[in-house]
Amino acid sequence: MTAVLEVTNLRKAFGGIVAVDGVSFEVRAGEILGIIGPNGSGKSTLFNCVLGQLQPSAGEVRIDDRLTTGMRPCDLNQLGVSRTFQLLQVFPQLSVRDNLILAGQEHQGSMASRLFGRADAGLGDAAGRMIEFFRLSHLADEQAGSLSYGQQKLLDAAMAFMAGPRLVLLDEPAGGVNLTMLGHLRERLHAYHAERSATFVVIEHQMEFVMALCTRVLVLAEGRLIAEGTPQDIRRNPIVIEAYLGH
Amino acid sequence: MMRLGGIVVAIASAAAIAAPFFLKPYGIFLISTWAVLTIAAIGLNLTLGYAGQISLAQGAFVGIGAYTVALLTPAGVPFFVAFMAAGLLSFAIGWVLGYPALRVQHHYLAFVTLAFSTLVFLVLRNEEWLTNGIYGIAGTSRPTLLGWQTGAARDFYFLCLGVLALLSLATWWMLRSPWGRAFVALRENPVRAVSLGLDTRRYTLMAFAIGSSLGGLSGALYAPLVQFIEPSSFTLGLSFNLLLMVIVGGSGNFFGPFVGALIAVLLPEWLRVTQGYYLIVYAAAVMVMMAFCPAGVLGLIERAGGMLRAPPKAAGAFTDGAAT
Repeated sequence: MTAVLEVTNLRKAFGGIVAVDGVSFEVRAGEILGIIGPNGSGKSTLFNCVLGQLQPSAGEVRIDDRLTTGMRPCDLNQLGVSRTFQLLQVFPQLSVRDNLILAGQEHQGSMASRLFGRADAGLGDAAGRMIEFFRLSHLADEQAGSLSYGQQKLLDAAMAFMAGPRLVLLDEPAGGVNLTMLGHLRERLHAYHAERSATFVVIEHQMEFVMALCTRVLVLAEGRLIAEGTPQDIRRNPIVIEAYLGH
Repeated sequence: MMRLGGIVVAIASAAAIAAPFFLKPYGIFLISTWAVLTIAAIGLNLTLGYAGQISLAQGAFVGIGAYTVALLTPAGVPFFVAFMAAGLLSFAIGWVLGYPALRVQHHYLAFVTLAFSTLVFLVLRNEEWLTNGIYGIAGTSRPTLLGWQTGAARDFYFLCLGVLALLSLATWWMLRSPWGRAFVALRENPVRAVSLGLDTRRYTLMAFAIGSSLGGLSGALYAPLVQFIEPSSFTLGLSFNLLLMVIVGGSGNFFGPFVGALIAVLLPEWLRVTQGYYLIVYAAAVMVMMAFCPAGVLGLIERAGGMLRAPPKAAGAFTDGAAT
């Protein structure tokens, strides 16, 4: 299996605090990799460094063997890398449909053609299908800000998939979502994964969700990788249990 | 609702066309001022209301446009060419002014644009070889287009109204294209926008440049309208006034600038009966307005319309589990 994403000795320091301390791993094509770890272990910082939202202090990020360290998030997205956020990140004053069209429009044509082309950038049907796929049809024309938390979380995920990415990084997709909605989200993620043979990396605290979704799990504590294995191995690993429960 | 909106726009357009036939010259001057300043306010509404980038320099761009036309037309340049030059020059300078917005936001950005505004004023005042300094430039002639002389007040008003109509349509087109969605995304959540592949840098610069060019085009009509321009016409006062038009009308609402500019041009005239107190009354009205309706006059109307139209809906949270 080839590596879609390869992270080598990644380090990120904020002043004296080292949030990510020499992390290396690779993500294979088609897998669903989970990253778990206690609060403050550097998971989100790791994502932000991989995705160009933060500049790493040291180390390398490669996507499809191409060095992408320090590239802007919008350019990475154009390479087929997409993400969701830990905290809600939709556009509250746009409708659900417009949120989705926005998520795909920059992949259509050039900046000039988008000015003179169709208002929906030719994505009206695709947005409709995505809305249906995530079962948000009855809310398509509502403002995103008026949706419930769980529904916005679904929309957030739907937006990450709109441009048909090959690699999706999900930052706590289950955080604050009720159980019904959670099962629904997992089912949707599985369906997309099967349909597009996409690669996922998932940060998550909700262990049941990780166990049900991921094929391989990395454990991060205090900015370092401390364990790796199948979900079953990780659950039994004493090092992991200690990292979560404290010293 | 769309139909109702269309009817209101049709009535307003008819009123704008009919108005000069019922007004005295000063009244025509006022509605011409309204048409000209609305263009600048549309530009600021684009930069601030849609794209979320605060600018206190829109008045400076009106000045740049006005001086461009006032300097070029006496040199024999046709008005239409000078008009385009005013727009292009403002576009280029606006693009450059956009660069600080890539680094700083909100009140810091306000200060950067405020400093730029002061800079433009100083250039207009001190570079006498070019701008004639505090003595200003008088007698910018009104153009003749395809044999139509716009020297008379009413004719010039129709020229201004025609330009306003064209620029409004162009802006409307842009805002309903994917660009409009991108500008709103820039305002609402730039971090998310960039992660969805939006080149936020380019859109930010575009928002500044296009907004500024509308300021310049407004100035290009302002010079032949008032026929005497001087540096003090384009100080921060004008920028604040334009900001007021955008906010009072309804920031981020397409028709906000039209309403805001109308209020800003007419209200001081109506309040003239209060003599020396009119500024106080005006200021108090604005403060009350902002405290009770930050979404502006059109926001107020929309809220009232929404209350009349539909009873309150069930909250989204209850439909959570039943998402079928």
